[in-house]
Amino acid sequence: MRWFGLLPLNAVLLLAACGSDGGADAAEPHELTVSAAASLADAFTDIGRAFEDREPGATVTFNFGPSDGLAGQIKEGAPVDVFASASPTWMDSVQEEGPGVSGRADFARNRLAIVVPADNPAEIEGLDDLAEDDVKLVLAAEGVPVGDYARGVLANAGIDDATLANVVSNEEDAAAVLTKVLSGDADAGIVYVTDRTPDVADEVSVVEIPDDVNVIATYSIAVVTGAQEADLAQRFVDFVLDDGQETLAAYGFLPAS
Amino acid sequence: MLIVALPLLGLVIRTPWSRVLDILTGETATVALRLSLVVATLAAAISLVTGFPLAWVLARSSFRGKTLVRALVVLPLVMPPVVAGVGLLAAFGRRGVVGSWLFDWFGLQVTFTLGAAVLAATFVSFPLAVLALEAGLRGLDDRLEDAAATLGASRWYVLRRVTFPLMAPQIAAALVLSWARALGEFGATITFAGNLQGRTQTLPLAVFERLQTDPEAAFALSMLLIGVAFTVIVALRGRFLR
Repeated sequence: MRWFGLLPLNAVLLLAACGSDGGADAAEPHELTVSAAASLADAFTDIGRAFEDREPGATVTFNFGPSDGLAGQIKEGAPVDVFASASPTWMDSVQEEGPGVSGRADFARNRLAIVVPADNPAEIEGLDDLAEDDVKLVLAAEGVPVGDYARGVLANAGIDDATLANVVSNEEDAAAVLTKVLSGDADAGIVYVTDRTPDVADEVSVVEIPDDVNVIATYSIAVVTGAQEADLAQRFVDFVLDDGQETLAAYGFLPAS
Repeated sequence: MLIVALPLLGLVIRTPWSRVLDILTGETATVALRLSLVVATLAAAISLVTGFPLAWVLARSSFRGKTLVRALVVLPLVMPPVVAGVGLLAAFGRRGVVGSWLFDWFGLQVTFTLGAAVLAATFVSFPLAVLALEAGLRGLDDRLEDAAATLGASRWYVLRRVTFPLMAPQIAAALVLSWARALGEFGATITFAGNLQGRTQTLPLAVFERLQTDPEAAFALSMLLIGVAFTVIVALRGRFLR
């Protein structure tokens, strides 16, 4: 019971922290809010840290999620400074229907891959195996970039009818697809190559998708119009396009062009 | 009050009323609604039947560790639903404690099935059923049951002709509460059962998926869920709660 007494103190500290904007500190605190596609989580977390080192006083707060959902939040007025989308479509939607964007640029590309549990229970060796009977396939939902790209791959390979009948779940994003494969409940999923991070490399195997049918996802980044920290936001965008490229490559992303 | 009223007001304002009828009679809504009704009804029925013996024990007997049992029963009410989903995966997933056994022996996979959606909904609605039934049993004058027993009625006869009729309002309340909770279940369902139209996509999952592609439809579906919830509350107020 005693530590309830600390609550008001916390509140005061919190208020003090909020009120210290523009104080006489050596480096003025600036908080940058970046909404980025879930597939960028690891790479952007590293890039964000490097950016904070470069910009004294700046803190980068990330909001990772499915690009479509993030675009929806921004259009509903979420206070976001930078938007990094896994698909030009959702950047377009913020640009055209939402608050608008500036300094837009493509900064990375990504390929798709099939992921299977390490023991590969359905013996998936290639794209065609996904069309076999009783394969439990998990995709991201339609409208989610990685879900639309995956359906594009299946259509390119001419096996979309048979494979879509094998879909047992339409997940909210690539991470959720990976979760179902990690738990061993799905026989296969289609996600970005970069989703198989070192953390899960022991538990999921990648089955390559041939280049001639693969879909290449293009990632766009831009400053959201009306950003609280517009200048800092532009510097973050520039940083991603410059120093950030090495980090993105290390995580398996392809350069934008 | 505002924190409750404003989101509701927002939904009412943003709902495309001219399209509501089209959306609610469309395939997504009707398929999801039918599935939701099936899942919620099964979950409530299972919660009630399996919850009654437990409620009986909690209300009528005293034993060491009763507080702990009651805490465990209530836990799903305050547990983050996604944690419930992860727990269900750990138990009933293809590699889960029970799931791996079911899969190896019977080739049965629970995840991604209607059964998984029912299981997820039951997990969260069970506590409400037990709590409502326990309250009903406690409020009962057990001298009436004793009287019936001294007149030669069997235990089952007493239960059927005395206990159940006397606590009919609480049984109804348990059913309605657990049904309503099951109807709204989202987190455990999407984590454990997945999201597939016609199989595991209940109304809340349909709302979530529509929000990405057709927000107006999501608002309309939300109004449907709110309408059901509101009806439940009004029904409970009128009959069982005072």
